[in-house]
Amino acid sequence: MKVYTSTTTTTRSESDRTKVGIADYAVVSGDATLTTSGLGSCVGISLHDRESGVAGLAHAMLPYADGDATEAKYADTVVPALVRAMVEERADPNRMQAKLAGGSTMFEFSSADGSIGDRNVAAAKEALARQGIRVVAEDVGGNHGRSLELVASTGELRVRSAHVGETTL
Amino acid sequence: MNLDVQSLRTFSRLAHSGAERAAGSLSQLTGIETFVKVTKIEVSTRSDVEREFREQDLVTVHIGFNGGIDGRTILAFDREEAVQLVDALVPGAADQPDSEMATSGLKELGNIMLGGFLDGWANYLDTSIDITTPTFVDIQTEGALEDITGDSGFRMATGEDHVLAFRNQLDTDDQQVGFHIYMLPTHDSIDTISNVAGDGGVGSVPIETFTSFSGMISDGAEQASDDLTAMTGMESVVEVSRLSFVPIEAVPMQLTDATRKGVVLEFMGTPSGYIAILFDEASADSVADALMPGMEADSAMQQSAIQEIGNIVTSGFIDGWANALETTIDISPPTYVDDIGSAIIDPLATELAQAQEYAFLIDSAIRTANDEFTCDIYALPNEAELREALDRLSVEAQSTQ
Repeated sequence: MKVYTSTTTTTRSESDRTKVGIADYAVVSGDATLTTSGLGSCVGISLHDRESGVAGLAHAMLPYADGDATEAKYADTVVPALVRAMVEERADPNRMQAKLAGGSTMFEFSSADGSIGDRNVAAAKEALARQGIRVVAEDVGGNHGRSLELVASTGELRVRSAHVGETTL
Repeated sequence: MNLDVQSLRTFSRLAHSGAERAAGSLSQLTGIETFVKVTKIEVSTRSDVEREFREQDLVTVHIGFNGGIDGRTILAFDREEAVQLVDALVPGAADQPDSEMATSGLKELGNIMLGGFLDGWANYLDTSIDITTPTFVDIQTEGALEDITGDSGFRMATGEDHVLAFRNQLDTDDQQVGFHIYMLPTHDSIDTISNVAGDGGVGSVPIETFTSFSGMISDGAEQASDDLTAMTGMESVVEVSRLSFVPIEAVPMQLTDATRKGVVLEFMGTPSGYIAILFDEASADSVADALMPGMEADSAMQQSAIQEIGNIVTSGFIDGWANALETTIDISPPTYVDDIGSAIIDPLATELAQAQEYAFLIDSAIRTANDEFTCDIYALPNEAELREALDRLSVEAQSTQ
Protein backbone atom coordinates (compact mmCIF):
# COMPACT_ATOMS: atom_id res chain seq x y z
CA MET A 1 0.00 0.00 0.00
CA LYS A 2 1.19 3.46 -0.80
CA VAL A 3 1.86 5.66 2.18
CA TYR A 4 2.28 9.33 1.54
CA THR A 5 5.00 10.02 4.10
CA SER A 6 7.30 7.61 2.38
CA THR A 7 6.94 8.47 -1.25
CA THR A 8 7.79 12.14 -1.31
CA THR A 9 11.26 13.53 -1.21
CA THR A 10 10.76 16.77 0.60
CA THR A 11 13.41 18.98 -0.90
CA ARG A 12 12.72 22.57 -0.01
CA SER A 13 15.53 24.60 -1.41
CA GLU A 14 14.23 27.88 -0.01
CA SER A 15 14.64 26.64 3.54
CA ASP A 16 18.02 26.13 5.19
CA ARG A 17 16.89 23.25 7.35
CA THR A 18 14.88 20.39 5.94
CA LYS A 19 13.24 18.02 8.34
CA VAL A 20 13.22 14.36 7.56
CA GLY A 21 10.35 12.49 9.16
CA ILE A 22 10.25 8.85 10.17
CA ALA A 23 10.09 6.53 7.16
CA ASP A 24 11.18 9.45 5.02
CA TYR A 25 14.27 10.74 3.23
CA ALA A 26 15.41 13.98 1.68
CA VAL A 27 18.25 15.38 -0.40
CA VAL A 28 19.76 18.87 -0.25
CA SER A 29 22.87 20.69 -1.40
CA GLY A 30 24.64 23.99 -0.95
CA ASP A 31 24.35 25.62 2.47
CA ALA A 32 21.39 23.55 3.55
CA THR A 33 21.17 21.07 6.40
CA LEU A 34 19.02 18.01 6.97
CA THR A 35 17.68 17.09 10.38
CA THR A 36 15.88 14.12 11.82
CA SER A 37 14.68 13.57 15.36
CA GLY A 38 14.16 10.78 17.79
CA LEU A 39 16.07 7.79 16.46
CA GLY A 40 15.53 4.97 18.93
CA SER A 41 15.74 1.61 17.20
CA CYS A 42 15.39 3.42 13.85
CA VAL A 43 18.55 3.96 11.85
CA GLY A 44 19.69 7.22 10.28
CA ILE A 45 21.59 6.79 7.00
CA SER A 46 23.59 9.77 5.84
CA LEU A 47 25.14 9.93 2.37
CA HIS A 48 27.41 12.67 1.10
CA ASP A 49 29.21 13.46 -2.12
CA ARG A 50 31.77 16.09 -1.26
CA GLU A 51 32.52 17.14 -4.81
CA SER A 52 28.97 17.96 -5.81
CA GLY A 53 28.04 19.03 -2.26
CA VAL A 54 24.92 16.85 -2.37
CA ALA A 55 23.77 15.26 0.88
CA GLY A 56 21.00 12.81 1.62
CA LEU A 57 19.50 11.59 4.87
CA ALA A 58 17.11 8.71 5.47
CA HIS A 59 15.29 7.68 8.64
CA ALA A 60 14.43 3.99 8.29
CA MET A 61 12.19 2.17 10.72
CA LEU A 62 12.62 -1.51 9.87
CA PRO A 63 15.36 -3.60 8.21
CA TYR A 64 13.71 -5.34 5.25
CA ALA A 65 10.79 -4.40 3.00
CA ASP A 66 9.98 -7.98 1.99
CA GLY A 67 7.92 -6.74 -0.92
CA ASP A 68 6.25 -3.77 0.80
CA ALA A 69 6.24 -0.80 -1.57
CA THR A 70 6.85 1.90 1.03
CA GLU A 71 10.53 2.06 0.33
CA ALA A 72 11.43 4.85 2.76
CA LYS A 73 10.32 2.78 5.73
CA TYR A 74 12.94 0.05 5.28
CA ALA A 75 16.73 0.19 5.43
CA ASP A 76 17.20 -2.19 2.50
CA THR A 77 14.96 -0.25 0.10
CA VAL A 78 15.61 3.31 1.21
CA VAL A 79 19.34 3.12 0.43
CA PRO A 80 18.92 2.65 -3.35
CA ALA A 81 16.07 5.22 -3.32
CA LEU A 82 18.27 7.77 -1.58
CA VAL A 83 21.16 7.10 -3.98
CA ARG A 84 18.82 7.60 -6.98
CA ALA A 85 17.48 10.85 -5.55
CA MET A 86 21.03 12.13 -5.02
CA VAL A 87 22.10 11.13 -8.53
CA GLU A 88 19.21 13.21 -9.85
CA GLU A 89 20.85 16.14 -8.06
CA ARG A 90 24.11 15.30 -9.89
CA ALA A 91 25.85 13.36 -7.13
CA ASP A 92 28.09 10.48 -8.16
CA PRO A 93 27.53 7.15 -6.36
CA ASN A 94 31.23 6.34 -6.71
CA ARG A 95 32.11 9.35 -4.58
CA MET A 96 29.46 8.84 -1.92
CA GLN A 97 30.43 8.19 1.66
CA ALA A 98 28.02 6.87 4.25
CA LYS A 99 27.64 7.53 7.96
CA LEU A 100 25.25 5.68 10.21
CA ALA A 101 23.65 6.61 13.51
CA GLY A 102 20.89 5.13 15.65
CA GLY A 103 19.83 1.51 15.87
CA SER A 104 19.86 1.41 19.64
CA THR A 105 18.20 -1.15 21.89
CA MET A 106 16.37 1.03 24.39
CA PHE A 107 14.12 -1.63 25.88
CA GLU A 108 14.16 -5.37 26.22
CA PHE A 109 10.58 -6.35 25.56
CA SER A 110 9.56 -9.90 26.33
CA SER A 111 7.56 -10.05 23.12
CA ALA A 112 10.39 -8.74 20.97
CA ASP A 113 12.26 -11.00 18.61
CA GLY A 114 15.82 -9.80 19.21
CA SER A 115 16.97 -6.22 18.69
CA ILE A 116 15.38 -4.37 15.79
CA GLY A 117 18.06 -1.71 16.24
CA ASP A 118 20.86 -4.21 15.52
CA ARG A 119 18.99 -5.62 12.54
CA ASN A 120 18.36 -2.12 11.17
CA VAL A 121 22.08 -1.28 11.27
CA ALA A 122 23.02 -4.64 9.69
CA ALA A 123 20.44 -4.18 6.90
CA ALA A 124 21.65 -0.64 6.20
CA LYS A 125 25.26 -1.87 5.92
CA GLU A 126 24.27 -4.70 3.58
CA ALA A 127 22.32 -2.30 1.36
CA LEU A 128 25.21 0.18 1.26
CA ALA A 129 27.66 -2.60 0.42
CA ARG A 130 25.42 -3.64 -2.49
CA GLN A 131 25.69 -0.07 -3.81
CA GLY A 132 29.46 -0.12 -3.29
CA ILE A 133 29.27 2.73 -0.77
CA ARG A 134 31.74 2.78 2.10
CA VAL A 135 30.64 3.45 5.68
CA VAL A 136 33.23 5.94 6.96
CA ALA A 137 31.80 6.58 10.43
CA GLU A 138 29.09 5.34 12.73
CA ASP A 139 27.50 5.98 16.10
CA VAL A 140 25.15 3.04 16.51
CA GLY A 141 23.78 0.74 19.17
CA GLY A 142 23.71 1.41 22.88
CA ASN A 143 20.49 2.12 24.72
CA HIS A 144 19.87 5.81 24.13
CA GLY A 145 18.05 7.92 21.57
CA ARG A 146 19.68 10.22 19.03
CA SER A 147 18.80 13.22 16.85
CA LEU A 148 20.79 14.11 13.74
CA GLU A 149 21.85 17.09 11.71
CA LEU A 150 23.66 16.65 8.40
CA VAL A 151 25.50 19.63 6.91
CA ALA A 152 25.49 19.40 3.12
CA SER A 153 28.53 21.60 2.51
CA THR A 154 30.87 19.48 4.68
CA GLY A 155 29.13 16.14 5.13
CA GLU A 156 29.42 16.55 8.91
CA LEU A 157 26.84 14.50 10.79
CA ARG A 158 26.09 15.92 14.22
CA VAL A 159 24.64 13.38 16.62
CA ARG A 160 22.82 14.73 19.66
CA SER A 161 21.61 12.73 22.64
CA ALA A 162 19.84 13.58 25.88
CA HIS A 163 22.63 12.49 28.23
CA VAL A 164 25.44 10.92 26.23
CA GLY A 165 26.68 14.21 24.83
CA GLU A 166 27.03 15.42 21.27
CA THR A 167 29.43 13.99 18.71
CA THR A 168 30.25 14.91 15.16
CA LEU A 169 30.93 12.16 12.67
CA MET B 1 -23.28 2.00 10.64
CA ASN B 2 -19.93 0.24 10.63
CA LEU B 3 -16.52 1.62 10.07
CA ASP B 4 -13.96 -0.75 8.65
CA VAL B 5 -10.24 -0.48 8.98
CA GLN B 6 -9.78 -0.15 5.24
CA SER B 7 -11.98 2.96 5.31
CA LEU B 8 -9.97 4.34 8.20
CA ARG B 9 -6.78 3.83 6.21
CA THR B 10 -8.26 5.60 3.23
CA PHE B 11 -9.46 8.47 5.40
CA SER B 12 -6.01 8.65 6.97
CA ARG B 13 -4.29 8.83 3.58
CA LEU B 14 -6.70 11.42 2.24
CA ALA B 15 -6.52 13.45 5.41
CA HIS B 16 -2.74 13.48 5.37
CA SER B 17 -2.39 14.43 1.72
CA GLY B 18 -5.19 16.98 2.26
CA ALA B 19 -3.32 18.38 5.25
CA GLU B 20 -0.15 18.63 3.18
CA ARG B 21 -2.01 20.58 0.50
CA ALA B 22 -3.58 22.78 3.16
CA ALA B 23 -0.21 23.33 4.84
CA GLY B 24 1.37 24.05 1.45
CA SER B 25 -1.25 26.73 0.83
CA LEU B 26 -0.58 28.11 4.28
CA SER B 27 3.14 28.32 3.47
CA GLN B 28 2.50 30.04 0.17
CA LEU B 29 0.13 32.55 1.70
CA THR B 30 2.10 33.36 4.82
CA GLY B 31 5.68 32.60 3.80
CA ILE B 32 6.00 30.36 6.88
CA GLU B 33 7.64 27.02 6.09
CA THR B 34 5.58 24.10 7.33
CA PHE B 35 6.07 20.37 7.69
CA VAL B 36 3.07 18.14 8.48
CA LYS B 37 4.26 15.78 11.20
CA VAL B 38 1.14 13.93 12.18
CA THR B 39 -2.40 13.60 10.95
CA LYS B 40 -4.62 11.77 13.37
CA ILE B 41 -8.15 10.63 12.72
CA GLU B 42 -10.73 10.54 15.42
CA VAL B 43 -14.39 9.78 15.48
CA SER B 44 -16.03 12.20 17.90
CA THR B 45 -19.57 12.91 18.92
CA ARG B 46 -20.92 16.35 18.08
CA SER B 47 -21.20 17.17 21.75
CA ASP B 48 -17.53 16.25 22.28
CA VAL B 49 -16.51 18.53 19.44
CA GLU B 50 -18.61 21.40 20.78
CA ARG B 51 -17.13 20.95 24.24
CA GLU B 52 -13.61 20.93 22.81
CA PHE B 53 -14.27 24.17 20.90
CA ARG B 54 -15.43 25.85 24.08
CA GLU B 55 -12.70 24.52 26.36
CA GLN B 56 -9.78 25.09 24.03
CA ASP B 57 -10.80 28.51 22.74
CA LEU B 58 -10.63 27.71 19.04
CA VAL B 59 -11.53 30.02 16.20
CA THR B 60 -13.11 28.36 13.20
CA VAL B 61 -13.98 28.79 9.57
CA HIS B 62 -16.91 26.78 8.23
CA ILE B 63 -17.30 25.82 4.59
CA GLY B 64 -20.04 23.82 2.95
CA PHE B 65 -19.36 21.42 0.12
CA ASN B 66 -21.59 19.84 -2.47
CA GLY B 67 -21.35 17.85 -5.66
CA GLY B 68 -20.07 14.28 -5.51
CA ILE B 69 -20.42 14.44 -1.76
CA ASP B 70 -22.27 17.00 0.36
CA GLY B 71 -21.71 18.30 3.84
CA ARG B 72 -19.73 20.80 5.86
CA THR B 73 -16.12 21.04 6.95
CA ILE B 74 -14.61 23.15 9.67
CA LEU B 75 -11.08 24.44 9.99
CA ALA B 76 -10.14 25.23 13.58
CA PHE B 77 -7.10 26.98 14.99
CA ASP B 78 -6.01 27.86 18.45
CA ARG B 79 -6.92 31.56 18.84
CA GLU B 80 -3.35 32.79 19.37
CA GLU B 81 -1.93 30.73 16.54
CA ALA B 82 -4.70 31.97 14.25
CA VAL B 83 -3.80 35.55 15.07
CA GLN B 84 -0.13 34.94 14.23
CA LEU B 85 -0.92 33.17 10.98
CA VAL B 86 -3.36 35.83 9.84
CA ASP B 87 -0.85 38.52 10.74
CA ALA B 88 1.65 36.92 8.38
CA LEU B 89 -1.03 37.02 5.69
CA VAL B 90 -2.45 40.46 6.49
CA PRO B 91 0.26 42.45 8.29
CA GLY B 92 -1.19 44.39 11.19
CA ALA B 93 -4.10 42.02 11.76
CA ALA B 94 -2.60 40.90 15.08
CA ASP B 95 -3.14 44.39 16.49
CA GLN B 96 -6.86 44.15 15.78
CA PRO B 97 -7.71 40.46 16.10
CA ASP B 98 -11.47 41.12 16.09
CA SER B 99 -11.43 43.42 13.10
CA GLU B 100 -13.06 42.70 9.75
CA MET B 101 -9.56 42.61 8.26
CA ALA B 102 -8.46 39.80 10.60
CA THR B 103 -11.58 37.70 10.19
CA SER B 104 -11.57 38.07 6.44
CA GLY B 105 -7.90 37.03 6.43
CA LEU B 106 -8.84 33.93 8.36
CA LYS B 107 -11.73 33.21 6.00
CA GLU B 108 -9.34 33.46 3.07
CA LEU B 109 -7.01 31.04 4.80
CA GLY B 110 -9.93 28.68 5.44
CA ASN B 111 -11.11 28.95 1.86
CA ILE B 112 -7.76 27.94 0.43
CA MET B 113 -6.84 25.32 3.02
CA LEU B 114 -10.22 23.57 3.00
CA GLY B 115 -10.44 23.86 -0.77
CA GLY B 116 -7.13 21.99 -1.04
CA PHE B 117 -8.28 19.46 1.52
CA LEU B 118 -11.49 18.70 -0.37
CA ASP B 119 -9.72 18.53 -3.75
CA GLY B 120 -7.98 15.42 -2.47
CA TRP B 121 -11.31 13.79 -1.63
CA ALA B 122 -12.78 14.75 -5.00
CA ASN B 123 -9.80 13.18 -6.81
CA TYR B 124 -10.03 10.01 -4.80
CA LEU B 125 -13.78 9.67 -5.30
CA ASP B 126 -13.35 10.62 -8.96
CA THR B 127 -15.97 13.32 -8.71
CA SER B 128 -16.13 17.07 -8.37
CA ILE B 129 -16.84 18.93 -5.17
CA ASP B 130 -17.77 22.61 -5.00
CA ILE B 131 -17.29 24.67 -1.91
CA THR B 132 -19.46 27.47 -0.55
CA THR B 133 -18.41 30.84 0.79
CA PRO B 134 -16.58 30.52 4.10
CA THR B 135 -18.12 31.78 7.31
CA PHE B 136 -16.14 32.78 10.37
CA VAL B 137 -17.51 31.38 13.62
CA ASP B 138 -16.15 32.63 16.91
CA ILE B 139 -16.77 29.99 19.55
CA GLN B 140 -16.92 32.62 22.28
CA THR B 141 -20.05 34.09 20.83
CA GLU B 142 -21.82 31.42 18.80
CA GLY B 143 -22.78 27.77 19.04
CA ALA B 144 -19.95 25.82 17.48
CA LEU B 145 -21.95 23.50 15.27
CA GLU B 146 -25.26 25.34 15.32
CA ASP B 147 -25.19 26.04 11.61
CA ILE B 148 -24.74 22.34 10.91
CA THR B 149 -28.05 20.73 11.49
CA GLY B 150 -29.70 17.43 11.00
CA ASP B 151 -28.52 15.16 8.31
CA SER B 152 -24.77 15.13 8.79
CA GLY B 153 -22.03 13.00 10.22
CA PHE B 154 -22.02 9.30 10.92
CA ARG B 155 -25.44 8.04 11.87
CA MET B 156 -25.56 6.09 15.08
CA ALA B 157 -28.15 3.80 16.56
CA THR B 158 -28.41 6.17 19.50
CA GLY B 159 -29.44 8.99 17.18
CA GLU B 160 -26.36 11.07 17.89
CA ASP B 161 -24.23 11.90 14.88
CA HIS B 162 -20.51 11.49 14.71
CA VAL B 163 -17.93 13.81 13.30
CA LEU B 164 -14.71 12.79 11.63
CA ALA B 165 -11.97 14.91 13.12
CA PHE B 166 -8.53 15.22 11.55
CA ARG B 167 -5.88 16.64 13.80
CA ASN B 168 -2.72 17.91 12.20
CA GLN B 169 0.49 18.77 13.94
CA LEU B 170 2.78 21.04 11.97
CA ASP B 171 6.31 22.15 12.53
CA THR B 172 7.24 25.59 11.36
CA ASP B 173 10.75 26.99 11.51
CA ASP B 174 10.38 28.37 15.00
CA GLN B 175 7.33 26.79 16.56
CA GLN B 176 4.86 23.95 16.54
CA VAL B 177 1.39 24.79 15.33
CA GLY B 178 -1.59 22.66 14.72
CA PHE B 179 -4.88 22.85 12.96
CA HIS B 180 -7.94 20.69 13.10
CA ILE B 181 -10.22 19.85 10.23
CA TYR B 182 -13.61 18.44 11.05
CA MET B 183 -15.71 16.84 8.40
CA LEU B 184 -19.43 16.27 8.50
CA PRO B 185 -20.61 14.69 5.27
CA THR B 186 -24.33 14.03 4.95
CA HIS B 187 -25.54 10.52 5.72
CA ASP B 188 -25.85 9.71 2.02
CA SER B 189 -22.36 11.02 1.36
CA ILE B 190 -20.94 8.88 4.15
CA ASP B 191 -22.42 5.88 2.36
CA THR B 192 -20.86 7.07 -0.91
CA ILE B 193 -17.44 7.42 0.71
CA SER B 194 -17.68 4.08 2.51
CA ASN B 195 -18.71 2.28 -0.66
CA VAL B 196 -15.62 3.53 -2.44
CA ALA B 197 -13.19 3.36 0.48
CA GLY B 198 -14.33 0.31 2.37
CA ASP B 199 -13.55 -3.33 1.95
CA GLY B 200 -17.06 -4.67 2.23
CA GLY B 201 -17.09 -5.14 5.95
CA VAL B 202 -13.88 -7.10 6.52
CA GLY B 203 -12.52 -5.94 9.84
CA SER B 204 -15.44 -3.64 10.33
CA VAL B 205 -16.44 -2.42 13.72
CA PRO B 206 -19.70 -0.63 14.50
CA ILE B 207 -18.99 3.02 15.06
CA GLU B 208 -20.64 2.84 18.47
CA THR B 209 -17.95 0.39 19.56
CA PHE B 210 -15.27 2.95 18.86
CA THR B 211 -17.04 5.50 20.97
CA SER B 212 -17.69 3.10 23.79
CA PHE B 213 -14.00 2.18 23.79
CA SER B 214 -13.19 5.91 23.74
CA GLY B 215 -15.37 6.22 26.80
CA MET B 216 -13.39 3.49 28.55
CA ILE B 217 -10.18 5.31 27.76
CA SER B 218 -11.57 8.49 29.26
CA ASP B 219 -12.53 6.56 32.37
CA GLY B 220 -9.02 5.08 32.49
CA ALA B 221 -7.49 8.54 32.20
CA GLU B 222 -9.74 9.81 35.02
CA GLN B 223 -8.59 6.90 37.18
CA ALA B 224 -4.94 7.65 36.35
CA SER B 225 -5.50 11.29 37.25
CA ASP B 226 -7.12 10.32 40.57
CA ASP B 227 -4.18 8.03 41.33
CA LEU B 228 -1.69 10.80 40.56
CA THR B 229 -3.60 13.18 42.79
CA ALA B 230 -3.72 10.64 45.60
CA MET B 231 0.01 9.97 45.36
CA THR B 232 1.26 13.52 44.98
CA GLY B 233 -1.38 15.44 46.89
CA MET B 234 -1.67 17.77 43.87
CA GLU B 235 -5.10 18.09 42.31
CA SER B 236 -4.92 17.04 38.66
CA VAL B 237 -7.39 16.89 35.79
CA VAL B 238 -7.53 15.04 32.49
CA GLU B 239 -6.95 17.62 29.80
CA VAL B 240 -7.02 15.34 26.79
CA SER B 241 -8.02 11.74 26.30
CA ARG B 242 -8.28 10.41 22.79
CA LEU B 243 -8.40 7.36 20.64
CA SER B 244 -7.10 8.04 17.18
CA PHE B 245 -6.01 6.19 14.09
CA VAL B 246 -2.61 7.06 12.64
CA PRO B 247 0.05 5.66 10.31
CA ILE B 248 2.46 3.78 12.58
CA GLU B 249 5.47 5.88 11.56
CA ALA B 250 3.65 9.05 12.63
CA VAL B 251 3.30 7.92 16.25
CA PRO B 252 6.76 8.99 17.52
CA MET B 253 6.50 12.28 15.61
CA GLN B 254 3.87 13.38 18.10
CA LEU B 255 6.70 14.10 20.48
CA THR B 256 9.55 16.54 20.11
CA ASP B 257 13.28 16.40 20.82
CA ALA B 258 12.71 17.59 24.39
CA THR B 259 13.94 15.24 27.10
CA ARG B 260 11.26 13.26 28.91
CA LYS B 261 11.45 11.16 32.05
CA GLY B 262 9.09 8.34 32.82
CA VAL B 263 8.44 4.68 32.37
CA VAL B 264 7.69 2.29 29.54
CA LEU B 265 5.72 -0.91 30.12
CA GLU B 266 4.51 -3.78 28.04
CA PHE B 267 1.02 -5.14 28.47
CA MET B 268 0.04 -8.67 27.60
CA GLY B 269 -3.42 -10.02 26.84
CA THR B 270 -6.05 -9.20 24.22
CA PRO B 271 -4.96 -6.62 23.33
CA SER B 272 -1.25 -6.64 24.07
CA GLY B 273 0.83 -3.56 23.47
CA TYR B 274 3.02 -0.86 24.96
CA ILE B 275 2.45 2.08 27.21
CA ALA B 276 4.61 5.07 28.10
CA ILE B 277 3.98 7.43 31.00
CA LEU B 278 6.09 10.52 30.42
CA PHE B 279 6.85 13.72 32.30
CA ASP B 280 8.87 16.72 31.21
CA GLU B 281 11.93 17.26 33.41
CA ALA B 282 10.37 19.86 35.72
CA SER B 283 7.25 17.73 36.19
CA ALA B 284 9.33 14.65 37.00
CA ASP B 285 11.16 16.65 39.69
CA SER B 286 7.95 17.92 41.22
CA VAL B 287 6.13 14.56 41.33
CA ALA B 288 9.21 12.84 42.79
CA ASP B 289 9.52 15.60 45.41
CA ALA B 290 5.86 15.18 46.25
CA LEU B 291 6.35 11.47 46.84
CA MET B 292 9.31 12.08 49.11
CA PRO B 293 8.47 15.31 50.90
CA GLY B 294 11.29 17.05 52.72
CA MET B 295 13.95 14.71 51.36
CA GLU B 296 16.93 15.60 49.21
CA ALA B 297 16.25 13.00 46.54
CA ASP B 298 19.19 11.61 44.60
CA SER B 299 18.65 10.39 41.07
CA ALA B 300 18.21 6.75 42.09
CA MET B 301 15.45 7.72 44.51
CA GLN B 302 13.81 9.92 41.92
CA GLN B 303 13.94 7.05 39.48
CA SER B 304 12.25 4.64 41.85
CA ALA B 305 9.59 7.24 42.69
CA ILE B 306 8.84 7.69 38.99
CA GLN B 307 8.71 3.92 38.51
CA GLU B 308 6.23 3.57 41.33
CA ILE B 309 4.05 6.30 39.87
CA GLY B 310 4.28 4.67 36.45
CA ASN B 311 3.22 1.34 37.85
CA ILE B 312 0.17 2.65 39.63
CA VAL B 313 -0.91 5.01 36.86
CA THR B 314 -0.63 2.21 34.29
CA SER B 315 -2.79 -0.15 36.35
CA GLY B 316 -5.39 2.56 36.86
CA PHE B 317 -5.32 3.36 33.17
CA ILE B 318 -5.61 -0.17 31.85
CA ASP B 319 -7.67 -2.04 34.45
CA GLY B 320 -10.83 -0.25 33.36
CA TRP B 321 -10.63 -1.47 29.77
CA ALA B 322 -9.64 -4.96 30.84
CA ASN B 323 -12.79 -5.15 32.93
CA ALA B 324 -15.00 -3.74 30.21
CA LEU B 325 -13.45 -6.01 27.59
CA GLU B 326 -13.88 -8.89 30.04
CA THR B 327 -10.29 -9.92 29.69
CA THR B 328 -7.13 -9.98 31.75
CA ILE B 329 -4.32 -7.66 30.79
CA ASP B 330 -1.00 -8.32 32.50
CA ILE B 331 1.51 -5.53 32.88
CA SER B 332 5.30 -5.91 32.81
CA PRO B 333 7.54 -4.22 35.39
CA PRO B 334 8.20 -0.59 34.45
CA THR B 335 11.44 0.34 32.66
CA TYR B 336 12.66 3.79 33.64
CA VAL B 337 13.51 6.12 30.76
CA ASP B 338 15.17 9.51 30.59
CA ASP B 339 15.77 10.36 26.95
CA ILE B 340 14.73 12.31 23.83
CA GLY B 341 10.89 12.18 23.85
CA SER B 342 10.36 10.99 20.29
CA ALA B 343 13.15 8.40 20.65
CA ILE B 344 11.36 6.85 23.63
CA ILE B 345 8.23 6.18 21.58
CA ASP B 346 10.12 5.13 18.44
CA PRO B 347 10.98 1.57 19.60
CA LEU B 348 7.39 0.96 20.74
CA ALA B 349 5.98 1.95 17.36
CA THR B 350 8.74 0.01 15.60
CA GLU B 351 7.93 -3.23 17.41
CA LEU B 352 4.32 -2.95 16.23
CA ALA B 353 5.34 -1.76 12.76
CA GLN B 354 6.63 -5.25 12.00
CA ALA B 355 3.03 -6.43 11.74
CA GLN B 356 0.85 -3.35 11.18
CA GLU B 357 0.91 -0.23 9.00
CA TYR B 358 -1.50 1.80 11.11
CA ALA B 359 -2.04 2.12 14.82
CA PHE B 360 -4.81 2.90 17.21
CA LEU B 361 -3.10 5.46 19.42
CA ILE B 362 -4.44 6.28 22.83
CA ASP B 363 -3.09 9.51 24.24
CA SER B 364 -4.01 11.29 27.40
CA ALA B 365 -2.66 14.38 29.10
CA ILE B 366 -3.10 14.97 32.79
CA ARG B 367 -2.32 18.37 34.29
CA THR B 368 -2.54 20.26 37.53
CA ALA B 369 -4.30 23.60 37.44
CA ASN B 370 -1.17 25.61 38.21
CA ASP B 371 1.21 23.54 36.06
CA GLU B 372 3.05 21.80 38.91
CA PHE B 373 3.20 18.85 36.61
CA THR B 374 1.92 17.48 33.35
CA CYS B 375 1.84 13.78 32.62
CA ASP B 376 1.40 12.34 29.15
CA ILE B 377 0.24 8.78 28.63
CA TYR B 378 0.65 7.04 25.27
CA ALA B 379 -0.72 3.55 24.79
CA LEU B 380 -0.26 1.53 21.63
CA PRO B 381 -2.33 -1.65 21.55
CA ASN B 382 -1.71 -4.25 18.87
CA GLU B 383 -4.15 -3.27 16.12
CA ALA B 384 -5.47 -6.73 15.22
CA GLU B 385 -5.86 -7.72 18.86
CA LEU B 386 -7.68 -4.51 19.71
CA ARG B 387 -10.04 -5.09 16.80
CA GLU B 388 -10.67 -8.59 18.08
CA ALA B 389 -11.45 -7.20 21.53
CA LEU B 390 -13.75 -4.53 20.05
CA ASP B 391 -15.49 -7.15 17.94
CA ARG B 392 -16.25 -9.12 21.04
CA LEU B 393 -17.54 -5.97 22.70
CA SER B 394 -19.88 -5.22 19.80
CA VAL B 395 -21.23 -8.77 19.69
CA GLU B 396 -22.00 -8.54 23.38
CA ALA B 397 -23.63 -5.14 22.96
CA GLN B 398 -25.86 -6.53 20.22
CA SER B 399 -26.84 -9.58 22.22
CA THR B 400 -27.90 -7.44 25.19
CA GLN B 401 -30.09 -5.17 23.09
